[in-house]
Amino acid sequence: MNIYSYTFRRLLYVIPVVLGVSLIIFVLFNLVAGDPTAILLGKHASASQMAELRHELGLDRPWLAQYFDVVRSAFTFDFGRSWSTKQEIFEMIKAGAIPSLTLSFPAFFLSTVLAIIVSLFVSFYRGGVVDRLVVFVCVALMSISSLAYILFGQWFLAYYLGLFEISGYESGFPYFIPYVLLPIIIWMVLSVGPDVRFYRTVVLDEIYQDYVRTARSKGLSERVILFKHVLKNAMIPIITYVLIKIPFLILGALLLESFFSIPGLGSITLNAINGSDFPVIKAMTILSSIAYILFSVFTDVMYCLVDPRVRLK
Amino acid sequence: MADKILDVKDLVVQFNTDRGVVTAVDGVSLEVFKGRTLGIVGESGSGKSVTALAIMRLIPHPPGIIKNGVVKFRGESLLDKEMVDMRKIRGNKISMIFQEPMTSLNPVFTIGNQIEEVLELHQSDLSKEQRHKKAVEMLSLVGIPSPEKRIKEYPHQLSGGMRQRVMIAISLACEPDILIADEPTTALDVTIQAQILELMKKLQKELGMGIIMITHDLGVVAETCDDVAVMYCGKIVEQGTADHIFNNPRHPYTKGLLESIPSFDATTGDAKDRLPTIEGMVPSLFELPEGCSFQDRCSKCISQCRQPQEVLALKEVATGHAVSCFNHY
Ligand SMILES: Nc1ncnc2c1ncn2[C@@H]1O[C@H](COP(=O)(O)OP(=O)(O)OP(=O)(O)O)[C@@H](O)[C@H]1O
Ligand SMILES: [Mg+2]
Repeated sequence: MNIYSYTFRRLLYVIPVVLGVSLIIFVLFNLVAGDPTAILLGKHASASQMAELRHELGLDRPWLAQYFDVVRSAFTFDFGRSWSTKQEIFEMIKAGAIPSLTLSFPAFFLSTVLAIIVSLFVSFYRGGVVDRLVVFVCVALMSISSLAYILFGQWFLAYYLGLFEISGYESGFPYFIPYVLLPIIIWMVLSVGPDVRFYRTVVLDEIYQDYVRTARSKGLSERVILFKHVLKNAMIPIITYVLIKIPFLILGALLLESFFSIPGLGSITLNAINGSDFPVIKAMTILSSIAYILFSVFTDVMYCLVDPRVRLK
Repeated sequence: MADKILDVKDLVVQFNTDRGVVTAVDGVSLEVFKGRTLGIVGESGSGKSVTALAIMRLIPHPPGIIKNGVVKFRGESLLDKEMVDMRKIRGNKISMIFQEPMTSLNPVFTIGNQIEEVLELHQSDLSKEQRHKKAVEMLSLVGIPSPEKRIKEYPHQLSGGMRQRVMIAISLACEPDILIADEPTTALDVTIQAQILELMKKLQKELGMGIIMITHDLGVVAETCDDVAVMYCGKIVEQGTADHIFNNPRHPYTKGLLESIPSFDATTGDAKDRLPTIEGMVPSLFELPEGCSFQDRCSKCISQCRQPQEVLALKEVATGHAVSCFNHY
């Protein structure tokens, strides 16, 4: 079986998984969460008002029909309208995706590349002063709360020194750049600690393998051994670690977006949760589940490309 | 005699461990001649692999360090070389095959890639096509059927014996002067073992290299080696030609080893009901007794053997046959 038919087969399996996930989402929102009309209308609503609203929102339709709504939205991305703003949810998400991506994509990309390079570097000098220092700095960075970085960045770097915008957003390239710089830096500081520690462990695991000794006995330089032999083997765990994080980027960086008033998906999600805007929360849940499912397929396909031992079946 | 290509003198290798410093190789001296095979025999932990790795300067540092000694390859001192120059010798003039055929190849590269890599490194005048052609030749030389097809395969698609053949192909690709084979057949079953040894002998004849054959199997030594060094606890206890070692062993440890081989009951010629073994266990390198390391397992031990060891050194008992034992001074 070649890689294309394997990918196709795996994608077919996505359909039943999405059906199952839709069922869980339906049960959570329609059965477990209780009657949303009470929250929307407040305590003093009359029974007839509530019934009217239930009818308006389609909540009096048969459960099966409502379940199909969830399934349909998972495939068509037609999530209906927000209860609070009455906007098309798909349009809201489209508008929110760009600010989110201008923050999360560069931040994620840069921090991943930085962490991999640093970990290869410290693995080269394993056990030495540089290695110990980097591990120490990583642990130190991880021990500080993210709020401390945000406050330090906004107050000291942005307000006091005036290096960055304190918060806000402006759409269009290159106007957004000054607004996302500081959150990107904070993102990198937050992720570099755990990332370097993870990649370093992965690389060190490989460095003590027998094939590395063979490579040395062939006369290869440490640089070639590290960047060719070790890195390609280390790619297998690295791919899992990186790809599994990407679906969560869909939700946006909840904390950073709200502190920096970036009107991205994170802010949309937080506002929806605060306003009991069920359709929006549901849409975000469905989207991130689908992203997660698709990326796990993608991860498996990548394994096949990187690791010849993985058999296609 | 034939020309000496490798000369090791007083090699000392130590490891820094949590429990203190261990001397894994303690004053080993060896010589390797062109076209001849030197066997290094000894029980597990006697320092055979460490000796080989030290010659290649592949001792992991930390924790290991070559404390002392001279390694001369064709008159050049390897231990004094810059790493860049040492790399030009590894895989090119001196090659090594390892004990673990299953894990010694890189799992994510094709075997062709792994053979061509060593050619690209040391024979940079070859074109890509020539390297490929040479790699195919090497595979057929080591007896891998349909090499054109096999060259595109990955290590996991090959059996242990096939992988060890690939390792041999890699190590011989640049026609080295010395091949260090560290228990090349220990992990393989008996029929494959015989094939690999046969192959190495054949290639040695064709290429004229010197071989260091590391093993704990005296059967392998009998089959392949011209000269033998018997190691115990990091030291060579007896050294000589294969004829000296098998027909005139002088050290009680060598004798013990020979007696514990089923087919070597020289006295009666009968199959023995019970195989004699050497009593006791190899002492830990952390708790070596003063004097001879073998004293606690030796039936011929005398009070002199328990004295601090200045006097216990390899001493020639016949031309080219040396032993370190007081009983035979
Ligand atoms: N990386 C290391 N760290 C610490 N000690 C080591 C290391 N490598 C080897 N040693 C020490 O060196 C001693 C000799 O090991 P060596 O691998 O040379 O034995 P060997 O004769 O090859 O045995 P075997 O037949 O099991 O391969 C070991 O007992 C161990 O104490
Ligand atoms: Mg060994």
